[in-house]
Amino acid sequence: MADALYSKTTTLVRARPVRVWRWLGAALFLAFLIYLPNVLTHRAAFGFRLTNTQLLNLGLTQINLMLIAMLGALSLNYLTGSAGLISIGHAAFYATGAMTAAIVGTQWSWPFPLALLAAAATGAGVGVLAGLPSLRVRGLYFVLSTLAVHHIVVFAFLEYQFRFFDVVGVPYEPASLGGFALNTPTRWYFFLLPFVAVVFFGLRNSLNTREGRAMRAMRDHELAASAAGVDVRILRLKAFAFSSAIASMAGALQAYFMTNVTSETFGLDFAIQFIAMIIIGGLGSLGGSLVGAAIWLLLPSIISGLSPQAGHAGGWLGALFVENKPQLVQAIFGLLVILLLIFAPGGVAGLARKVRSRVVR
Amino acid sequence: MFAQVLFSGLALGSIYGLVALGFAVVFKATEVFNFAQGMLAVCGAYFAATALSIWGWPFPLGVLFMAGAAIALGVAIHILLIQPLAGRSMLAVIMVTIALSIVLRAVIEIIYGPQGRTLTTPLPNGVILIGSLRISQLHLTAALVSWACMAIFAAFFRFTSVGLLMRATADSHEAAMVSGVDVNATNRIAWGVGSLLAAIGGLFLGQLQIVSTDLESIGLLALPAVVIGGLQSIPGAVVGGLLVGIIEQFAAAYISPKSTDIVIYSLLLLILLVRPWGLFGAPEGGRV
Repeated sequence: MADALYSKTTTLVRARPVRVWRWLGAALFLAFLIYLPNVLTHRAAFGFRLTNTQLLNLGLTQINLMLIAMLGALSLNYLTGSAGLISIGHAAFYATGAMTAAIVGTQWSWPFPLALLAAAATGAGVGVLAGLPSLRVRGLYFVLSTLAVHHIVVFAFLEYQFRFFDVVGVPYEPASLGGFALNTPTRWYFFLLPFVAVVFFGLRNSLNTREGRAMRAMRDHELAASAAGVDVRILRLKAFAFSSAIASMAGALQAYFMTNVTSETFGLDFAIQFIAMIIIGGLGSLGGSLVGAAIWLLLPSIISGLSPQAGHAGGWLGALFVENKPQLVQAIFGLLVILLLIFAPGGVAGLARKVRSRVVR
Repeated sequence: MFAQVLFSGLALGSIYGLVALGFAVVFKATEVFNFAQGMLAVCGAYFAATALSIWGWPFPLGVLFMAGAAIALGVAIHILLIQPLAGRSMLAVIMVTIALSIVLRAVIEIIYGPQGRTLTTPLPNGVILIGSLRISQLHLTAALVSWACMAIFAAFFRFTSVGLLMRATADSHEAAMVSGVDVNATNRIAWGVGSLLAAIGGLFLGQLQIVSTDLESIGLLALPAVVIGGLQSIPGAVVGGLLVGIIEQFAAAYISPKSTDIVIYSLLLLILLVRPWGLFGAPEGGRV
């Protein structure tokens, strides 16, 4: 039943040229992604020097942080958009990953890939624990239980940090894959890019398996799904474990990338930013989560890039840009989320779909 | 020590109860889980600070200004943000209140700067000694005013025609609509009341500490308070607020100041697992 309802719509009528364009577009995009670190490192494209403004004030470090945030947004959108479970505890799974990486990586000096795997395993375990209330409570009450889990895990991280390290934070060893040290932003970029791609396509394909379809059926109508033979309780726990394993790995990656992490990193704001990302990008759209994460991570530095010009303009607006940059960014994000929620509930992905259906016949 | 901690817990708990009461009024009327309630308390504190500390208005006038501005803010939120989202998913409504609190915080910090402000009011702030028990007059005033406000609003819901309409609307939107109640207008009043109660709480919180956007996290303790008390229950919100205040003070005094959040949220998790409808609420039946 569920299989038939949620089977992937096949493109029977689409003509051949469209597919060619699609491959060409994908190839161009790939080429762009591969060339991007070169541009951002040397601040030049094809031998032409580019000013900071032309590069939108972006650096490779921000791009790398964006790639890590994409993992968080993808896993949350999988949980919320596809399985229908709202969680404001995503920062807790990041914290779990960072803490696991600190124990096995910093204290036991396991190599980096093993630390990542350990983070994923712990994340899945904590995810199942955090998902347990879903067996008992629904909707709003479940959201609150994730809030409680958030506070408990972050407290555990705080205690851990102060028992074994100090107020400066938890340090991490330089990451390396075997003999290959991830010691430059470019190396990190070429490690993170395929990582995100694998997670993205993995999640996308998993949504088209039997489990994935059952999950979407559960989101749309829990009772109908269980009537069709789906064990929604187990499925919810599985979705939670899967999603938090990815988030936890992202937390470990972020910890290794930043080389130092404190408990303050994983506040409630950190969890809320992922919800904002998937709302901006579009709930239930994995591609949208990538766009949402990109907007959330890159917009602040674009705004700071614009601020010198706005500062020269002087007056009220100039003062706003120069003196209150962080607040301005927050206000813009907040308004963006509110406007999207009211006028475009599908987020960027929904808007894109609308535009495409207008333009393409 | 014990009596001292109990007293400050009760006093702070009264303020939380007040903020939580505002939260429960809004939730009962519009089923909106308002994550901005803490920020509304902060807004109240800033309204008061603007009128009293910056413009130098006399205290009663300043309080009136705060009340008016808080009600206007609540009504504006309902018209601009909540009504357009009617009938939409829970996540959309929750997220809009979170985004609202982000915007409010940013706007406040742009206008007033990120550092806090002191709030000076003619409220008594000495200390009464009863035996070895030191009772801060400000704590006492806060508790008494909170209880008075709760009594006034209980009477308002119980005895006035507007209160009756609000209770009817909260019980069943459709039935109220059929009987000719302007449901949107009633809900607007609920938002005004919710925001006003938060603002009064904010006034005291700002006075006990310093007026800054960090008060939000204290105001947000209303969240576990209402859930522990029971989301659908007005007395539950008050009792939940008191409980959270007492637990917070005892955890800070006997365990460690850092442990307050985890104790409160562990209790929240326990309540959610054992009695999701809270201490005073009624269990909800599932519907197909």
